[in-house]
Amino acid sequence: MTSYGGGGGGGYSRNNYGAQGGDDAGGFMGGSQTGSQGGGAASKNYSDDSLRPVTLKQLVDCKEAYPGSELKIDDTPVTQVTVVGQVRAVNPQTTNITYKLDDGTAVMDVKKWVDAEKADDGDPKFGPDAYVRVWGRLTSFNGKKHIGAHNIRAIEDFNEVNYHMLEATYVHLCLLKGMPNGPGSGGGDQGGSGGGDSMFVDGGNGSNEAAGGGFGGGHNARLATVSRNARTMFNFLHNSPGGNEGLHLNLVAQGTGLSVRDVIGAADELLGNGLVYTTVDDETWAILDY
Amino acid sequence: MEASSTARITCSYLDSYVGKNVIVVGKVVQIRGDEAVIDADGNITAHLNRECHLAAGNGVQIIGKVNPDLSVKVLSSLDLGTNVDLSLANLVAEVSHQNKDMFIYD
Repeated sequence: MTSYGGGGGGGYSRNNYGAQGGDDAGGFMGGSQTGSQGGGAASKNYSDDSLRPVTLKQLVDCKEAYPGSELKIDDTPVTQVTVVGQVRAVNPQTTNITYKLDDGTAVMDVKKWVDAEKADDGDPKFGPDAYVRVWGRLTSFNGKKHIGAHNIRAIEDFNEVNYHMLEATYVHLCLLKGMPNGPGSGGGDQGGSGGGDSMFVDGGNGSNEAAGGGFGGGHNARLATVSRNARTMFNFLHNSPGGNEGLHLNLVAQGTGLSVRDVIGAADELLGNGLVYTTVDDETWAILDY
Repeated sequence: MEASSTARITCSYLDSYVGKNVIVVGKVVQIRGDEAVIDADGNITAHLNRECHLAAGNGVQIIGKVNPDLSVKVLSSLDLGTNVDLSLANLVAEVSHQNKDMFIYD
């Protein structure tokens, strides 16, 4: 497109390709791209293309809403993915090498297309049992999914395998339950997909925190900028029936599991932000509602 | 493609996986003939095959089947050298059991 750029360029490209693409300007790019990938959605948003660490099980489990629609994991479209696993079988063909990849969660085919221009690109570089990292695109072909690999490299440090599993989990949980402590986004995601789920695995403060996510996003944007302790305390005050009298330092400390020192720090922060006020004495706080 | 998984486990998960294939990442404590003791948050006895090349003190990944006596019959093993963070490996086993939707088919 850009090569037809300056001056009357827009008109030129529209005249020549508009009819064929059935769409103006971007239609040329979008049409040819999606055509070659078999993705039916003509209005594919390439700005959403992100690289996501996943396990093979996630890829195997993800379903397309209708044939040709985009594939989604955790309600987020996936295109580019990175996976780590062990090669179980190698199948060299004239146009591509197909590796059977196993990461312990599932098994999936990875196709690396052979670049005919490069000498010995067609020779498999990874034997059975080798740990590799793959970057590629999840592709669905005739109802069967595989990864079209852009790049494959051997893993030299085994810790990368475990690191990848944790990274994939982290991204999964962030998408499912919102960013930990994330300003705003936590609240939004919580309302959208998380429902009443706790944001954290362990209980305790978790329920307070989770409520905070929703609260922070919806009710008071200022809460999004305070520390985790302050938010925990705010939510505790919010969820406790204390009326106008507020709650004493000791009750807050007991209820939130924070130390007295942390509660005082959190209270200072909330006071500074105008979120709470002191009531009967300097160590009793209530939420400032107006 | 195939809806089956090989769970990453530590010693404490052994009894939930009798008869199933598992992945254990641990440290080789001792080798006695065709038996080895592997520490993965607790000692696991592994029955080796001829292709196993383990070194005492090294990290190792074994894939194998859990016997009723909670030993593991090794199907494949991979020597990982000494630079393996075993607490990380144990953590991954825990995390994978907390997030079975991502890691494990029941």
